[in-house]
Amino acid sequence: MRQLTDSLLAAQKNASAVPYVQVRIRSRIGNVARLAWERLYSGGESDYFHAATMPGEGSLVRARIDPSAGRLYLQRVADPGPVSDFAAWSSFATVSAIAGIALAGSAAAVLLFYVDTDNVTIKLAESGDYGESFAAPVTVATASGAVGWLAAGLKSDGTAILLYSVGATVYRVKRSGGAWGSPAAWSNSLASVAGLACCYSIDFNVVVAGTAASGAGGVWTAIYGDGFNQPIDTWSGLAELSRADASSGVEFRAPSLDRADTYRMLFVEKFSGSQSYSRPFWTHVSTLGDFLTHTWREPVPFDFSSTYGVAMAHSSTAAWLSAPSGVWRAPFDTSVLDLSDDVLEVREEAAPFDGRVRIVLRNDNGRYRDLTSGSLSLIRRGSQVDVSPGYITSDGPAVSVGPRYWIDGWEYAGGAGKATFTLHAVGGWSLLERWRARREYAWAAGAATVFQLLSFLFARAGLELGCHSSSSTITSFRPSFAIHPGEDGRTAVRRLLETVPDVVAITGESGLAMNPLPDQEAGYAYDADHPIFSGRYGTGALDFNRVQVFGQGRMLDAFDWESIDDVYDRLRQVHDLNLTTAAQLQERVDALMRKAAMASLGSEITVPVNCGQELYDVVTVTDAAAGLSEACRRVLGISLHYSRAGASPVYQMRLRLGAV
Amino acid sequence: MRVRKGELKAFDSGAYTATVQVAGSLSVWLSGVPVARNIPAGEMVPGRKCALIFFDDANPDDAVLVAVYT
Repeated sequence: MRQLTDSLLAAQKNASAVPYVQVRIRSRIGNVARLAWERLYSGGESDYFHAATMPGEGSLVRARIDPSAGRLYLQRVADPGPVSDFAAWSSFATVSAIAGIALAGSAAAVLLFYVDTDNVTIKLAESGDYGESFAAPVTVATASGAVGWLAAGLKSDGTAILLYSVGATVYRVKRSGGAWGSPAAWSNSLASVAGLACCYSIDFNVVVAGTAASGAGGVWTAIYGDGFNQPIDTWSGLAELSRADASSGVEFRAPSLDRADTYRMLFVEKFSGSQSYSRPFWTHVSTLGDFLTHTWREPVPFDFSSTYGVAMAHSSTAAWLSAPSGVWRAPFDTSVLDLSDDVLEVREEAAPFDGRVRIVLRNDNGRYRDLTSGSLSLIRRGSQVDVSPGYITSDGPAVSVGPRYWIDGWEYAGGAGKATFTLHAVGGWSLLERWRARREYAWAAGAATVFQLLSFLFARAGLELGCHSSSSTITSFRPSFAIHPGEDGRTAVRRLLETVPDVVAITGESGLAMNPLPDQEAGYAYDADHPIFSGRYGTGALDFNRVQVFGQGRMLDAFDWESIDDVYDRLRQVHDLNLTTAAQLQERVDALMRKAAMASLGSEITVPVNCGQELYDVVTVTDAAAGLSEACRRVLGISLHYSRAGASPVYQMRLRLGAV
Repeated sequence: MRVRKGELKAFDSGAYTATVQVAGSLSVWLSGVPVARNIPAGEMVPGRKCALIFFDDANPDDAVLVAVYT
């Protein structure tokens, strides 16, 4: 249960408390800012090696190579915006026509790396005035062979690394205390490199595109340590983000990486089959995730065609994308649209694997007629709706920050002197349901725990997954598992949760895995202090009272004899070749029986809204008429209804209760 | 139990397993799929269409390739 302030707790137990429901809209999905890209420039420059950065004062510094002449061109736009001239380039140097370039900026410093015409000498031109002027280039490294791709990361104290590829090997050169060290090869291995990206944030975070020894194309992340998530001056292993098998005709290249509000990445997916394409895809990590947790959402196609991708940078107010022939801007929209005063009715439903809300707003003067401009433009499909139940307390309006939803659609209604605007929004389970596997995902037995598989699925849907009192099974059981093309994330999560005793509740934008133990203490009491409007207390038979679990050459069964005495045996059989030991069979049997027991008491109470109530909480119920005194029950469903539209205002909560 | 279609990408006659492009997966193949022993090795020609039965849809080890066809 969510923690409540004393005044809110007192208010919700007060029979004459005044309801208050806060409804806010933000341009966020999974609580990560949704970037609305606006293309500011369309030019005729060649699609080739390029780079971009934004130093501290917000100027946009871009660089590109003209492949026909091997010329490096530079551009600095001091205050980039819709009327800026992004077509004016200044020639900087004659450089290698086959190697990449890199830019990195921090505060007033801008580092521009390029490869000389000999294809092996890597030079640095450095600016100390936000890219307005550059000192004479210096040689940073001389490669052992023709250089392919470059990337650079710059720390605020001037420490920097340059990454470059020679064939399939990535080298790093580090600047510490103003002096460049010697190149050193990384400790990872690939068959080819088709792009590098780097940005500094607590460590040097790196993205590599290319092919693995198996011939499979991929995009991987790695960390070059600065002592935070990775020991200083060491490489982490490669973590796969995208993959394409050899001969599939799909390859990945030209990644870019930036950390504004969160880590954001773009890379190019190139398909050479029929209906070929070469298209950037973007992704970001979840709101609480860092580079190490590798919680990247499903990459999303970007409306642009390029084989050299787009470079990403940001100022304090906007994210920017740059390609030689294009510039895009997406302002960081931190505005919040508070609809609380217009709310006539809220119906919120939360159940295992489901959550949605319907919000009816007054529209008597047509205030929601035009959603295209002003603050109402935040009302878009996909926008985040934060619904927080509360009361007017002695300290003023107070709420408990409740679940988040995402707008699915809306409708206008009118007649009989009334006009309303109704928002329909869905919760995190629907985000999971709408994530569809676009390729075969398969994990061999032993490759990942159930929790890691769940985390992957939540991340792909743009959600975080945490845990709270999880079972040992969820962090130790490593099944062979597959998600087939077209399958949805919610189905995959359900399958995984059938293998463990744990459940997952979605709170805010995060899933929370928990093991609902039978001895869990109650966190709230429904009694004379928090009265029960009405109650219905059922006693049903178990859906099944006998379980047979078949594993690899083994079978184990379990019985609920009391139930069998009453209704004879109701059998459930489970076949899972992942179960190879007696202990695993026992864990599965226990988990199945436990979940059946939880669902066995079909009870329901209607109470004044408890602002902190969450799914799977344990509560006590005291209802003398039903012979219940501090009876422990687990919350298995919540329906909140708030209405001030009719003759009788309503502010109540219906709780579906099961056994603990 | 689900039946899915795919395209044969490779066949290991020793282990009698196949690598299959499950329909809808543009870029990634499923490897190590057991192949029905009643299918002659000579019929396992890459590029042919195939039918897969997943006894447990979530477990690729609990599946069998039951037919190849053109």
